Amino acid sequence: MRINCPFCGPRENGEFTYLGDAKPVRPEGGAGEEAFYDYVYLRDNVAGEMSEWWYHGGGCRSWLKAVRNTVTHEFLSVEAAPGAGGKAVQK
Amino acid sequence: MSSHRTASGGLIDRGHSLRFSFDGESMTGQAGDTLASALIANGVKLVGRSFKYHRPRGIFTAGSEEPNALVELRSGGRREPNTRATTIELFDGLEATSQNRWPSLKHDFLSINQLASPIFVAGFYYKTFMWPAKLWESFYEPMIRRAAGLGRAAETADPDHYEKAWAHCDVVIAGSGPAGLTAALAAGRAGARVILCEEDFVLGGRLNADGGEIDGKPAREWVAAAEAELRGMPDVRIMTRTTLTGVFDGGVYSALERVNDHVAVPPEHQPRQRLWRIVAKRAVVAAGALERPIAFSGNDTPGVMLASAVRTYVNRFAALPAKRLVLFTNNDDGWKTVDAVLSAGGQVAAVVDARPAVSDAHRALAGKGQFAILHGGIVDVSGGAGGVRRVKAALTGGAVAEVEADGVAVSGGWNPAVGLTSYHRGRPAWREDIAAFVPGALPPGMIVAGSANGAFSLGACLREGFAAGSQAAADAGHGAAAGNVPAAADEPYSLAPMWHVKGKHKAFVDFQNDVTVSDVALAQREGFESVEHLKRYTTLGMATDQGKTSNVVGLAVMAELTGKGIAETGTTIYRPPYVPTAIGALAGHHRDENFHSVRLPHSHHWAEEQGAVFVDTGLWKRAQWYPKKGEKDWLESVTREVKAVRSGVGFCDVSTLGKIDVRGPDAGAFLDRVYINTFSTLGVGKARYGIMLREDGIVYDDGTTSRLAEDHYFLTTTTAKAGLVMQHLEFCRQVLFPELDVQLATVTDQWAQFSIAGPKTRDLLRELVDPSEDLSNEGFPFMAAREVLLRGGLKARLFRISFSGEMAFEISVPGRYGDAMARNLMIAGKAFGVTPYGTEALGVMRIEKGHVAGPELNGTTTAGDLGLGKMMSTKKDYIGRAMAGREALVAPDRQVVVGVKPVDKGRRLRSGAHLLPKDASPSPQTDQGYVTSVCYSPMLEQWIGLGLVARGRERHGEIVTAYDPLRSETYEVELCDNVFYDPEGGRQRG
Amino acid sequence: MADFSWTPVSPLQAALKPGRLGEKSGPAGLKLTELTGFSLMQVQARRGRWAETEAAAQGLFGVSAPANPAAVEGSGATLVWSGPQQFLALFPAGYGADWEKRLADAFAGSASLSDQTGGRAMIRIQGARARDMLAKVCSVDLHPRAFATGAAAATSVDHTGVNLWRRADDAEGAVFDLIVFSTFAGSLWHTLVDHAAEFGVEAGRHPA
Repeated sequence: MRINCPFCGPRENGEFTYLGDAKPVRPEGGAGEEAFYDYVYLRDNVAGEMSEWWYHGGGCRSWLKAVRNTVTHEFLSVEAAPGAGGKAVQK
Repeated sequence: MSSHRTASGGLIDRGHSLRFSFDGESMTGQAGDTLASALIANGVKLVGRSFKYHRPRGIFTAGSEEPNALVELRSGGRREPNTRATTIELFDGLEATSQNRWPSLKHDFLSINQLASPIFVAGFYYKTFMWPAKLWESFYEPMIRRAAGLGRAAETADPDHYEKAWAHCDVVIAGSGPAGLTAALAAGRAGARVILCEEDFVLGGRLNADGGEIDGKPAREWVAAAEAELRGMPDVRIMTRTTLTGVFDGGVYSALERVNDHVAVPPEHQPRQRLWRIVAKRAVVAAGALERPIAFSGNDTPGVMLASAVRTYVNRFAALPAKRLVLFTNNDDGWKTVDAVLSAGGQVAAVVDARPAVSDAHRALAGKGQFAILHGGIVDVSGGAGGVRRVKAALTGGAVAEVEADGVAVSGGWNPAVGLTSYHRGRPAWREDIAAFVPGALPPGMIVAGSANGAFSLGACLREGFAAGSQAAADAGHGAAAGNVPAAADEPYSLAPMWHVKGKHKAFVDFQNDVTVSDVALAQREGFESVEHLKRYTTLGMATDQGKTSNVVGLAVMAELTGKGIAETGTTIYRPPYVPTAIGALAGHHRDENFHSVRLPHSHHWAEEQGAVFVDTGLWKRAQWYPKKGEKDWLESVTREVKAVRSGVGFCDVSTLGKIDVRGPDAGAFLDRVYINTFSTLGVGKARYGIMLREDGIVYDDGTTSRLAEDHYFLTTTTAKAGLVMQHLEFCRQVLFPELDVQLATVTDQWAQFSIAGPKTRDLLRELVDPSEDLSNEGFPFMAAREVLLRGGLKARLFRISFSGEMAFEISVPGRYGDAMARNLMIAGKAFGVTPYGTEALGVMRIEKGHVAGPELNGTTTAGDLGLGKMMSTKKDYIGRAMAGREALVAPDRQVVVGVKPVDKGRRLRSGAHLLPKDASPSPQTDQGYVTSVCYSPMLEQWIGLGLVARGRERHGEIVTAYDPLRSETYEVELCDNVFYDPEGGRQRG
Repeated sequence: MADFSWTPVSPLQAALKPGRLGEKSGPAGLKLTELTGFSLMQVQARRGRWAETEAAAQGLFGVSAPANPAAVEGSGATLVWSGPQQFLALFPAGYGADWEKRLADAFAGSASLSDQTGGRAMIRIQGARARDMLAKVCSVDLHPRAFATGAAAATSVDHTGVNLWRRADDAEGAVFDLIVFSTFAGSLWHTLVDHAAEFGVEAGRHPA
């Protein structure tokens, strides 16, 4: 498998670490237990296109958001995490 | 020349003889032979015994699909079982041994299995050896293993080495027959980077056996010209002896290169085999087709061979498998074998053709060869270990004919080699006109050409290959291919499907697994109709050949029995590798001392000089203790090291801790979100112990972090979690909190860090550190951290932190000075009896002080469990805060850290022992926790430990029962405070 | 009290045995050389400050900082891309002692700096068979057209993170420089030598 790192180009999957579903968004600090419970535990079991976090730890150390078809393993897109590199990000 | 070698012809080097032995018998072959062709040239028919019935077997094919001719190759550590004689390139001194027979191939005692064959039917093992179950290990399994089996693995380590490599190209091509070669020419001429993989040691594929004319030239001449042109292209790589074995996601292919399988011993420094991972934009599969047999009674008699294999031996290897041959065919292609045998001076006894009529050309050939054409099918072959003697055919209309012969060539038609095309679970599609499966839905980026695609004429192979090569190059971004498509005839291929002929004796479908037509029928009767069930129940299509000659026949027989049709019956799932691949090749360089990479702390070589004993900690090698002459065991050394530290001064390399530079204007705010405690308020020049949680509220890691500048923190992690914490922090920085202006850099290797501990630490440091630096309690208080100047001009970072509970500092210098630091610490501390200590003493001292480490930070404990709940800030959000407040994580009966000491002071403690109420009998209901860490405490002169025990903090002083099921020990221990030594902490502050 | 001597020890001190290794016949297929004495700074742009970081690099080295995987030769230093909006500034042995201060001044406010001098080893891989050896350990396509002179990659060799870049070819063939974490360096050296052995190796060491 090859993953097209937006910074490094296509690299073999051994350079990457998989985290999981990129859809859940971390709630604000005061959001309470239930919101965090959803964020930490509740996941869809997707057969098809899924957005995922991958870490290019064996390369440029960027976190990447990839859209992958879990059935065919095809990567439809790979983009950098919002805070990869030194980009300015407004909250 | 040998008995069955023809006088002329073939691609062998008649001037270059090679000696080899088979079952100890010396023979001679020629360069260019395979082991199989050399055996045939020497008149050898019997090469092995079958898996289950120990029936005599001969060579059946001329390629990697061989089910029968499996031999052990070489000897000693190089002994390799189950190699296919048909693919082994002959070399001088080759030793081969037949398998699965005792005491010898000709007289195999276990061939009595045949007599018992009515009970050795499909599913026999499942049905027979069911009860009593306990006999499986002691009796059934050893018996089965002895009776039914393949070769023996080597009993010593393989002395050769294997490696892996990467290759990149625009177009990878599997196969160098007419389609593969034209594909390579087209893609190469278009300027593409091409890799051409050929399993054989010569290019040409079936052209080497079947000849023919291309562009008016003999096929071999055309192959030579094509090869020369390809070798002249700098971006075309020709890889012979290389099988494309797998198709993986994203255009990655695996290929096995047998670099030195064709020599007795690889040249020094060279691998035996190399496993390639090929990254290609496009793939052209021109892997050809495999001829399939027709099952008939006695079809496994040595001397029965695929018709195309007979041609290969005759035309390519100048070896006659039979002097008087019967051909059994249901198609035109089989007839080519008649031509080949007659041209080489052999006789044809008869052609049995399943079709009602043959062409005029074939009738003319029969006249020339003076043999009869019998329309019907073979119903029996008589013979035995010595090979075929008589062949009986049932003719259309009911008559029976018998002919004498010493060989049978059989052709049931051709199956495209669909393996590589099906590894992404694409199901092959049935094509009625050729009665064969052709590639179905292909993996992305793959084009199939030639007979692998069901195009069986030479002209069609050349056209499809050229088109596929052009298309693949264009898809990869190159222009059009130059030149014309090579031309050749489109010979007809007419076939009347026939899968088996009824007869009196066993008709084998799968030779390697001894599966017969009646086994398939039995499976069907017993309800195992699905092809996947058929495979598991009968073992049809398993083992080293993966059913390359048997699968289609087997499922066709099943289709006939169920009446469902072959298309509906379908095939089993295809999985890589296409040919058997040695585990050594998959492991490559990663074996023995190269199993994984090794990290050495900067002071490693100094520690080696000191005679340290090392322990593997993840990838690291760490000094575990430093034995001194006369010490009788590790405990004596460790006890000495601990006492030396507690009474004087010692040092330990702690460079393995993960170290991360956290920089930027928002560094403090960032750390506040990842630690449970607050770091933005930490003063410059100060260190603080911190704990990180996972988002679910469980402790993730701990360590000391120092603020070295307003915008610079130096964070340390545990050794085990260094990489993971970096990954986690980058996730926080890039994904969770991207608005924070913070930068992370790993500096684990940049700093060689030493812990210096003991009451005389300051004395040692005063020797080492420039006198201008104030090391007094006021000038350098507990938890201070700053840069200092050392004598001799080097700058270092000094941290007043203590893991041992003693007066202690950690000092760090750039990595390249780590070795010098260890040596200088010895010099500076000489007057104070400085003692280097290892990880064991480090561990003993942390347990004496009750500090938690890996065994307590075990993925189940909260900060509260560890007695560190007060560190959890209530004034800020941090990772894990919300979930750490969950009811179960703050319940009063949680297992929390306590100290443990044996009631009998002389007893040794063991970690892992369960803790139960006093005198309770062990059960899940009475289990209240367990011992996590133990050591012999030199200071308390007894074993002590830490444990996790329900409500442990309320139970100090309580006697409980320790139960160690591994050692069947039960004893009493007292729960106590986890700080055993200097509970007031005066020593580290003093 | 005497002063202490602080002798730097290369991470490859023990592993590297200079001289001919592996196949002894014929000319060595490649040279493996440890480059010593360099200084190395990791430069990471602060958020929204890449333009300033580039300008600071321009002022200090006369070249723009690499925005893509590339190694740029500047005056006095090679700037090696190491990730988005960050690079390694590599100084040869003997570079002025004030290098750290010069960098700190130039990048103040625009980038975070982290000294990596003690944390890396540097190995030059060159010769006719350099690519053949690297193909065994490196998954990046190093074909001359795919990895041109000046191209760089942050990648892994033997599961160990490295920075690899291509310098101009010399008479014998391609020249690659590689830097690796110093505690992995000995292990990586053995891996490289093992994979190069069939080609014949000339091993050596000289100042960067």
